[in-house]
Amino acid sequence: MISRRAVLAAVATAVVSATGATADAYPERPITLVVPYGAGGATDIAARNMTAVTPKYIPVPILVVNKTGAGGATGTAFVANAVGDGYTMMVARVGSHTVNPAMKANLPYSIDDFRYVGVFEINPVVCATSPESGIDSMEALIAAVKARPGEITYSSSGVGSMLHLAGVLVLDAFGIENATRMVTHLPFRGGGEAARQVVAGNATFICTNSSALMGHIQSGALQPLMVTTAERLEGVDAPTAAELGKPELEVLVGWSGIAGPADLADEAYDAWVGWLGQITKDAEFQERMGALGSIVVSMTPEESVQFIRHQYEVFRALVDKLDMRVE
Amino acid sequence: MNAWDAAYWAFQTIAQVEAIAALGLGVAIGVIVGAVPGMSATMGVALTLPFTFSLEPLVGILLLLGVYKGGIFGGSIPAILIKTPGTPASSCTVLDGHPLAERGEAGKALEIALYASCIADIVSNLALILFAAWLAAFALSFGPPEFFTLILFSLTIIAGVSGDSLTKGLISAAFGLLAATVGLDLVYGTDRFIFGQTELMAGLNFIPVLIGLFALPEILAYLRRPTEAVGKVMDLGRHHVSWREFRRCLRSIGLGSAIGVVMGAIPGIGGAPAAFLAYSEARRLSPDRERFGKGELEGVAASEAGNNGVCGATLIPLLALGVPGDVITAVILGAFMVHGLQPGPIMFQQNIVLIYALFMGIMLSSVFLFITGKIAIRLFRRVADIPRSILYPSVLALCVFGAYAINNTMFDVLVMFATGLLGYFMMRTGIPAAPFLIAFILGPMLEDNFRQAMLMSQGDFTIFLRSGITWFFWAATALSIGLIVRRGLAGRRPAARYSGH
Repeated sequence: MISRRAVLAAVATAVVSATGATADAYPERPITLVVPYGAGGATDIAARNMTAVTPKYIPVPILVVNKTGAGGATGTAFVANAVGDGYTMMVARVGSHTVNPAMKANLPYSIDDFRYVGVFEINPVVCATSPESGIDSMEALIAAVKARPGEITYSSSGVGSMLHLAGVLVLDAFGIENATRMVTHLPFRGGGEAARQVVAGNATFICTNSSALMGHIQSGALQPLMVTTAERLEGVDAPTAAELGKPELEVLVGWSGIAGPADLADEAYDAWVGWLGQITKDAEFQERMGALGSIVVSMTPEESVQFIRHQYEVFRALVDKLDMRVE
Repeated sequence: MNAWDAAYWAFQTIAQVEAIAALGLGVAIGVIVGAVPGMSATMGVALTLPFTFSLEPLVGILLLLGVYKGGIFGGSIPAILIKTPGTPASSCTVLDGHPLAERGEAGKALEIALYASCIADIVSNLALILFAAWLAAFALSFGPPEFFTLILFSLTIIAGVSGDSLTKGLISAAFGLLAATVGLDLVYGTDRFIFGQTELMAGLNFIPVLIGLFALPEILAYLRRPTEAVGKVMDLGRHHVSWREFRRCLRSIGLGSAIGVVMGAIPGIGGAPAAFLAYSEARRLSPDRERFGKGELEGVAASEAGNNGVCGATLIPLLALGVPGDVITAVILGAFMVHGLQPGPIMFQQNIVLIYALFMGIMLSSVFLFITGKIAIRLFRRVADIPRSILYPSVLALCVFGAYAINNTMFDVLVMFATGLLGYFMMRTGIPAAPFLIAFILGPMLEDNFRQAMLMSQGDFTIFLRSGITWFFWAATALSIGLIVRRGLAGRRPAARYSGH
């Protein structure tokens, strides 16, 4: 009996110490980084740019896994329900973590289902229109919306995308009442398609990440109206939101960050905070992201959470005000 | 710098070991990735992308282009040999490719697929180089109303792939439409037929449906009667395509290439509809219409010409306008942008040497495709010699792997098995699978573009008559339906005479 109990105790001690050792040794096997959007998209490229430099800082391989569908909800829900051992992390994104939760009642996760390591890049948003539309400024756009209610259209990459919300958020800030009724939302499948339809004149305007529009703006196929960053953007001949008297629109930016499930273990969390700090200071990473029109930022976890929450609340308020919630 | 100088410098750029090696390697990777069911050309390109970051822009982009082109051809190999399209674009190749393999003429089918792919590839590349600006303007004029009429016309293909009974074809198409409705509504974002399943919000994934529909019924049939092989033992034999057969297919290849180029230049359509349209047009024009679907070499030639004709042409909107037409060109756009290059009109002014070098590389890729394809056929022909008792379990394993790999979820594997059962039921009842697939691909496009057009016009139907393109496709649709009706009536007459006796 005694010997048996001793053996059991020994086994128990061994198990405890073994798990203890595992926890200390994070990471000891490859980490899966879920990208909730398709291969080759902006989020995917951001993740793959990151994995190009992670071997310098993270001792184990990072496996980028695309789990796509439902506007990012499929992959995001997967991570929300994953074990918080730090081996399943994700690239959180403006669409998956602020726009979708603000707009969709049928979403299988909420903004609180995650522990946020940090935001690592920001994408300025540009509003643009086709030169043929005759609209060359925000003022002209607002006048056109007021003159022809419902006829002005804006394109987006689908319901619940940042583009969907951005169009009305901007109009609302410029004093258009009931913005959802005053303009027509034209959803397309994908941001590239949304931009093309504005170039072709099938939609009047678009508000989206500068990287998606830069080529068209440089070739003259699109006329930029406004940028939402505090400073003017190089290569975009348009005033900032603040110059137009709407500094509150600076909240409208795209971003990517790293997040894990809400119960993410402290060891993994601390490790990731450290790694992300090093990655965002990496010159190679900064250069690659810069080539895509992103601005690499170093935010502390607290700043990041505050930033994400603030954006969510602004979006949520607009959704409630204009009754845009998708049931 | 005049054009000759630019061409000279471009030649200097392309004539280096890395560029040529990247192209060759890319095509080889592509053929292999394409040949594995479930690994589509899109995945191949996306997985190769990170490796191009550290390469020179030209080398990296040629590598990606090689994977793309190789992948589209590679998909035809399992389509012919094991009735499983390796990529969505090669699903049409199954229709005649697999019956040929069952007759012991897999070698012929693979060869004609390769020849058609290469010729269409060259045609497509030439279209890109010579008519990029013109075709890009044409592509840009395709808004939702034009798209709607084009898709409407394309739906008439269903009659061409329905086999003996148009009714059964329509039943199959209805199943396809139903399956395609699952997911989120485009305009309102509300759930449709998801039955509370989060996974279904994304809709049914194309690849598992494809595998389930084609490969699984075959395996299930074999499971039921293992001794009674469905066809004869597949044998590649020494069958080669004769010059006469090749000449007979040339018209279909030319037609398929042209259809591929036009469909490729229009953003958002992709290889599968182009292949089906090329197939159905080839069938319509053929004097041996009845042989299509039963192992007609021309059918393989047409569909492979159609899907490879798309390859070069999808680069037209990308290079000329900076607009990616599909996921693959979006990935390639990413590769440009990582190197600080922005495709579009500006690039033709600022980086003309790179553009010329790219054109040269693209032309060269057709040659590599031919060589790699020849080697691949030699290697893969051994698949045909494997006994079914070993082949089918391996195919099943590959199918499960493929369905899982597309989105790393077991749910897709379940979708595959569910569609497999449906496919088996359809096989037993003689309902053809191809109309299901066409409706599954085109149905959502039809709906999206209809609703987008309605939003644009605020409910005014005259938007569908707004341009010459819409008139053209309305006329083509009317003509196509007219022909189907006439042929249906003509076909009924002799049958009526029989039943009268």
